[in-house]
Amino acid sequence: MAYQLYRNTTLGNSLQESLDELIQITPQLALQVLLQFDKAINTALANRVRNRVNFKGSLNTYRFCDNVWTFVLNDVEFREVTDLVKVDKVKIVACDGKNTGNTAE
Amino acid sequence: MASSANSNPVPKLYRSVIEDVINEVRELFLDEGVDEQVLMELKTLWENKLMQSKAVEGFHTEEQAALQAAAQQQAQQSQQVTQQTQSQQVLLPQQQQVTNWQSTRPNVTSAPQQQVIVQDPKILQHMSATGMSAAATAATLALPTGVSPYQQLITSQGNVSQNVYLKTADGQILQVVRAANGAQYIIQPQQQMVLQQQVLPQMQPGGVQAPVIQQVRPITQVLTPLQGGLPQQTGVIIQPQQIVLTGNKVQQNTQVMQMAGQAGQMQQVQQVQQVQQAQGGAAPGAPQQQQAQQMTQPQPPMMLQVDGAGDTSSDEDEEEEEEEYDEDEDEDKDKDGGEDGQVEEEPLNSEDDVSDEEDQELFDTENVVVCQYDKIHRSKNKWKFHLKDGIMNLNGRDYVFSKAVGDAEW
Repeated sequence: MAYQLYRNTTLGNSLQESLDELIQITPQLALQVLLQFDKAINTALANRVRNRVNFKGSLNTYRFCDNVWTFVLNDVEFREVTDLVKVDKVKIVACDGKNTGNTAE
Repeated sequence: MASSANSNPVPKLYRSVIEDVINEVRELFLDEGVDEQVLMELKTLWENKLMQSKAVEGFHTEEQAALQAAAQQQAQQSQQVTQQTQSQQVLLPQQQQVTNWQSTRPNVTSAPQQQVIVQDPKILQHMSATGMSAAATAATLALPTGVSPYQQLITSQGNVSQNVYLKTADGQILQVVRAANGAQYIIQPQQQMVLQQQVLPQMQPGGVQAPVIQQVRPITQVLTPLQGGLPQQTGVIIQPQQIVLTGNKVQQNTQVMQMAGQAGQMQQVQQVQQVQQAQGGAAPGAPQQQQAQQMTQPQPPMMLQVDGAGDTSSDEDEEEEEEEYDEDEDEDKDKDGGEDGQVEEEPLNSEDDVSDEEDQELFDTENVVVCQYDKIHRSKNKWKFHLKDGIMNLNGRDYVFSKAVGDAEW
């Protein structure tokens, strides 16, 4: 089972909204679609993305619960080779990245 | 593709994910007995939402590119009903997502012409239904709530010089053309020209006749076809109000009269504007409306307006403040700015709270990073993050990474 972590992204949310809008799609079918999405996005991120980002800022809060880290950082700079993005506040949600891929529900 | 180092990998990634998901899910759909058409609809909805979110750049499909090209061609043509129904179907999701008219403004002004066309007939059908179903006065009373958002929409549309197509309840397609002077004309056979001109001499506000006459015409053109069979009622509506408003200050309100053919007080102007909008629902002279409202604001506060430049409450407060503090030493007079600040500070002590809201950013989005962690390390209050496979939404835009390394101090 792949992480359902990526459902709360632009891609994931738009898929969920679309599934909600189409009444011909039963809830069970919608769930299957989302599970398929989880697999696809996990695979895609692992295989198709090859870039590196650095960031630094100040840590406001941290939480570690159920093997999930949640951070809130302030005044953060995200630096990539190409460009720089600054934000005043960012929330980072991170699941365990070990290869066994625990089921996080 | 040689220079792909600088290109954004996000659209390609998203597109590949969508394709993978749709293909994998096709079997599931067939097993459920759901038609392939629904699958295509899901894909279209999904892609449309991604486009609308503006989180991804350069997210175009061939279908949408063709659709936009076709829509632009259709928009250049005149008076076709089919284009509206088609574009309505395509753009319905956009409208469904929009609950507040104000939020449509950025979409309307920056969107291609097709969106403007779609929203107008919907509004017009709604407005014309409400306007034509009641008598003049009833329509006037029934309108206030329904009109203001439409005004705002008109405002937004008025800022954009586009060919606006309006569809009446009769199913007629009218083309609203903006002239150089800002007045808008609807291309339709003219009726009631005589009626309006007969009314004009009665107004005679003094030296303003010429512009009034010229600018009342578009209104007749606007009103007439859109009423769809209630010409006499419109005459009845306008005349008494015009007569009532005669004698008020007009010179400042020539532009108001453009809209209503009338001068003076805010309520009546608004009522007339509402009536016209109910009957016509046209988008004539959005800037005129703005100017009208702005022009009428400085007038003597006989009406109910309590905002804008005509606000007198601040004056009253200042007087009260001065009265209270005059009893104190003269130093207080020197601190007029401070006095206002002190009076205002009391209710504003809530600023002492540290919690900051989204006003920090230009966007409402909370910047979120969803990823997996390889290693999280801490030394005293120095934290190091080793993350991987993440999707970031920063300042409204999407980014991805395969690895991320970060430092933060707690």
